[in-house]
Amino acid sequence: MRYTPRHPKSNVNVTPTSHIREFFVLAGGLLSLIVVIYLVLGLTVDLIVPHISIDLENKMGVHFFQSMGGKDVDSQRGYYVQSLIDDLRERCAKLPYRFKIHVRKASTVNAMALPGGHVIVFTGLLDKMSSENELAFVLAHEMGHYAHRDHLRAGGRAVVLMTFSALLFGADSSVSKILSHTLNITELSFSRKQETMADEFALETINCAYGHVGGATDFFEKIPKEQDTGKIGHYFASHPETRSRISHLNNIIRSRGFNLAKRKPLPKAIWNFIP
Amino acid sequence: MYDLLIFLALIAVGYSVGTLLEKRHYHSIHKREKAFFYLPAVTIKSVDYPEEKIRSAELVYGSVVISIDCFKKILAGLRNIFGGTIKSYESLIDRARREALLRMKEMAGDATVIVNVRIETSTIARKANKKGVGCLEAIAYGTALTLEK
Repeated sequence: MRYTPRHPKSNVNVTPTSHIREFFVLAGGLLSLIVVIYLVLGLTVDLIVPHISIDLENKMGVHFFQSMGGKDVDSQRGYYVQSLIDDLRERCAKLPYRFKIHVRKASTVNAMALPGGHVIVFTGLLDKMSSENELAFVLAHEMGHYAHRDHLRAGGRAVVLMTFSALLFGADSSVSKILSHTLNITELSFSRKQETMADEFALETINCAYGHVGGATDFFEKIPKEQDTGKIGHYFASHPETRSRISHLNNIIRSRGFNLAKRKPLPKAIWNFIP
Repeated sequence: MYDLLIFLALIAVGYSVGTLLEKRHYHSIHKREKAFFYLPAVTIKSVDYPEEKIRSAELVYGSVVISIDCFKKILAGLRNIFGGTIKSYESLIDRARREALLRMKEMAGDATVIVNVRIETSTIARKANKKGVGCLEAIAYGTALTLEK
């Protein structure tokens, strides 16, 4: 047998193909798949949310909360706000959640309801508060979102989408990571109706807690003055127009015969304490 | 958003540098393969040749480790979702095997023939840290025979 050296004319082991083209075809396919899932999820969120158990929500809540990052600050005021929300829950709004207050340093006048009972309160909001009743109303408003499970509806798509990607590609895969970075779950936006419902819930709650609803509209009344400075965060910009909210609250106060009485001041020692 | 930009930049760098390096590697492989035309490497176990005329028989081997670039990795990751042939890894394995064969031939020097050639591949640094970019080792080994004419 003779050996004749010869270079093969073509390489059968390497497919002559454009990787760039393959990349765009696959990435495009994946993206359109995600878009379709996202659209479908948007339609089904309302059907799914009532079936999510509190237990499951608490488990998911941990991931949501961790993806926020950041550190709790201002433990002095944090403890006070925590005791306030615990008191509200115990006496007036028996919700199946164990609320945990997280105070975060930011000038945003904002509070957020995350899944699992994690309530994030920014120092910007605390600085604006002038009475306990006012603060209690904001907290009760967030509790109202929990009571109606709006926080799941708002974040529901992101929740389900992230769960899907974790199931499909693994929680640690690059696809899931891109998703969790792209999906801004903190950008919870509630509908006007949800806000109104939460306002009504808050009104009932503080009427129960204090025997009157004084201070309920204080916070909204501050907003028009300060909105021009642009210091108000998107929280209240995303809430229905403050003017109509105030008048709606006043309507309820009148129709249900709620009393207005003297507001309870915030504990000075804690509030003026600068860490 | 910032993370996404870094990610896209990594893909772009991975693609451009990876493609350039691959092109150069293939160029070098083709050149050296031609230079080694005189030395056959075959899978038969031995040659039909009188034993006293075999001057030497020794183990020769060549191994190489090649890393995938992150563009190829992402492309393969996308393929993992939909299935099908992972074309982006084909050239990688092809290069590794041919490079290993070439190194083996370099080790054989002026031998007449290399018999009983085997090629094996394994992955390195894949399991230990899932985040790491995988790399591939190919090793080729055989018995180099120097025959007397």
